[in-house]
Amino acid sequence: MRMSLTRSKRRTAPTDAIDATDSTTRAASGSRPRRPLRGAALLLAAALAGSLALSACGDDDSSDEPAAATATTFPAGSTMAKLQSASTITVGTKFDQPLFGLKNLRGEPEGFDVEIARIITDALGIPADKVKFVETVSANREPFIEQHRVDLVVATYTINDKRKQVVDFAGPYYVAGQTLMVRAGETAITGKDTLAGKKVCSVSGSTPAERIRTQAPDAELTLFDVYSKCAEALKAGQVDAVTTDNAILLGLMDSDPGAFKLVGEPFSTEPYGIGIAKGDDEFRTFINDTLEAAYTDGRYETAYKDTIGKVEPDMPTPPAVDRYTS
Amino acid sequence: MPLVTLEGVSKSFGKNRVLNDINLTVEAGEVVCVIGPSGSGKSTLCRCVNRLETIDEGRITFDGRPLPAEGRELARMRAQVGMVFQSFNLFAHRTILDNITLGPRRVNGVRRAEAEEKARALLERVGIADKADRLPRQLSGGQQQRAAIARALAMEPKLMLFDEPTSALDPEMIQEVLDVMRSLAASGMTMIVVTHEMGFARSAADRVVFMADGRLLEVAPPKNFFAAPASERAADFLAKVLTH
Amino acid sequence: MAGRPEQRSEHRADYGWSHIDAVLDNLDIFREGFVQTLRLSLFAAVSALILGTGLAAMRVSPVPPLRWAGTAYVETVRNTPLTIVFFFVVFVLPQVDIVFSYFTFAVMALTIYHTALVCEAVRSGVNGVDAGQAEAARALGLTFSQTLRLVVLPQAFRNVVQPLGSVGSALIRNTSIAAAFGVQELTGISQRLTTANPGDVVAVLLAGIVCYLVLTLSLAWAVGLTERRLTRTPR
Ligand SMILES: Nc1ncnc2c1ncn2[C@@H]1O[C@H](COP(=O)(O)OP(=O)(O)OP(=O)(O)O)[C@@H](O)[C@H]1O
Ligand SMILES: [Mg+2]
Repeated sequence: MRMSLTRSKRRTAPTDAIDATDSTTRAASGSRPRRPLRGAALLLAAALAGSLALSACGDDDSSDEPAAATATTFPAGSTMAKLQSASTITVGTKFDQPLFGLKNLRGEPEGFDVEIARIITDALGIPADKVKFVETVSANREPFIEQHRVDLVVATYTINDKRKQVVDFAGPYYVAGQTLMVRAGETAITGKDTLAGKKVCSVSGSTPAERIRTQAPDAELTLFDVYSKCAEALKAGQVDAVTTDNAILLGLMDSDPGAFKLVGEPFSTEPYGIGIAKGDDEFRTFINDTLEAAYTDGRYETAYKDTIGKVEPDMPTPPAVDRYTS
Repeated sequence: MPLVTLEGVSKSFGKNRVLNDINLTVEAGEVVCVIGPSGSGKSTLCRCVNRLETIDEGRITFDGRPLPAEGRELARMRAQVGMVFQSFNLFAHRTILDNITLGPRRVNGVRRAEAEEKARALLERVGIADKADRLPRQLSGGQQQRAAIARALAMEPKLMLFDEPTSALDPEMIQEVLDVMRSLAASGMTMIVVTHEMGFARSAADRVVFMADGRLLEVAPPKNFFAAPASERAADFLAKVLTH
Repeated sequence: MAGRPEQRSEHRADYGWSHIDAVLDNLDIFREGFVQTLRLSLFAAVSALILGTGLAAMRVSPVPPLRWAGTAYVETVRNTPLTIVFFFVVFVLPQVDIVFSYFTFAVMALTIYHTALVCEAVRSGVNGVDAGQAEAARALGLTFSQTLRLVVLPQAFRNVVQPLGSVGSALIRNTSIAAAFGVQELTGISQRLTTANPGDVVAVLLAGIVCYLVLTLSLAWAVGLTERRLTRTPR
């Protein structure tokens, strides 16, 4: 068997060593200019850094913003009153989600979720430097809330019925949805119905990967373990589109400005809510009120413009909060 | 024309100078026995002749030409020089017959049937015709060494090198090997024999070479050497080995 | 690609045999993953065996530059995590216009890595053969490659069967890294099925483990058989 690493003239290299019946992973076609190694090198560096980085939660009591001293009075015994008198709060957020919650070089998370959390903590009258952010990955959001290790979770947290059985949600404050990201110069792909015969990339075992199988059955699916690899493959022309929640896609676009764009209408609905302890309806109503106020007084728009707006300037209409009764 | 010449040959292993300015000529048809105390460099000298060891200084020629560097040329030269080792070194995974036919078939391109016919004749000659289909480990030491000699002879060499061929053998097997070597010497084969068998050196050698500390101290016909060694070292050495 | 995985209705209180349905209902998808893992293993094993033996030959050759090159390869590759090798093959090679399918890329990455391991196994086997064997062969006039092929490797092989078996077993397990690089093999399929059947995670993962065991135990059996054959005296 020959396994030489010779350069292939054609992009669709004949796989002389291995029979190429595996259509889902066939090489990309169409000639593209050579690219510098930088992209892959950065990706590699990021992967290494990621695997080495400790998942330590940053204690960030350093903030230069002055304390918001609003003297609102809350009903005695309410969560709001307790938090206000304690004058400190713990918020769970993602530390690795660009544009929503991403740890910056000073160790503080930044993004839309963080700004939404600040709107609420401000309304509680808690000084900005007394707001403690801890990392909540997808799997530990419910446990952290149930064990009262956090007071609220703003972490690209999709509201659904299963989760509502153990926690309660204020909001939604943003509606994400599965959509497609393509190369900036792409013209052939305009939505999920133009994917026949195209190579679409997603993450192995993810819900979006399963959804695209039914939504675009004629697309060829390529699966990696992380989306950054999909972005690299898209850039290199080995796949034609990447699909997952637009929130994640926007993050990928943010880390490689100008290389990609989103196309088509979202074909799923992921309402992001604020998770709090189950049964604390008072607190939930307070957060919903605060959100609605922020929608109209411009604070929501500022939060958007400062974060997601940098990548996607068109701000969607803020979603109506869902004051469900459990 | 001499078959083998060594001119000013020196060799060191690290700081240990094992061969020191060796000059020696071996004529075709001659039997030369190399003797000397342990560690004097006899084996190294023998191995240098077919370039199993490389030399640091000097020049060695075989059949009028300097030894080639590693490669096909050297392989061709080695095919003309048979070598018999102290520890036999028969190919452990092959039968005696295969051991003997391997060289002729793979190096000289002789056909299998022809090679086997000749191999059986050689086994007959060294007295182990019945062992052709055995594995080396199924033979006694003396039988293995005779098979090894047959293996070397199968290449029809111009020169045979023996590096202490009987040192690893039980006493009762030494004679059967020496007998084979004697008859080989009588047939006119050119031989360089490193040995501790003084009896063999005395009776079979045309010349005896005495080595000590990497130097070639004496070269003489056995009659003269054993009767009256020229150097004190040789006299000492003989006194020790002959009283045993 | 086979169809969409069957989503099972919830069996909340039931932790019995019914979880196996998550596997049985998706047997065709599972088989697809199994076959992919098997193909990855076989292609990479054959390539690594050939190249690794060649590399071992370089490392014991009398030509210094070949020895150096062999050593450099082994030390570099052996001290690089396999994931990084995959990264290099899958994301760097396309930058210099070397493009294959992700399956081929995975075979290449696995081959590059395990060639170094095969080389070391073979080399230690070669070193285990008495030096006198090679000397006798060279003294007969056999070339270096003949010496290796006809005398040393056949004797080294019996010492090497067991270590090569270990390399093969590692290879089978290492194919799972391909799941992160565009190949849907057993691990990728298991991930997919656990998403579709969150209630049956354990059953799906156990089925995956069984598949890997089937492969590694078959290999162990073959190794044992080969070893017994070799230690029996020929003729
Ligand atoms: N491969 C080697 N590496 C290092 N030193 C060696 C090597 N081969 C031999 N020597 C050393 O060179 C010297 C001469 O060795 P050699 O085997 O030629 O002696 P000898 O005369 O054959 O001795 P003996 O009668 O014991 O076989 C010894 O000191 C030995 O230790
Ligand atoms: Mg010796």
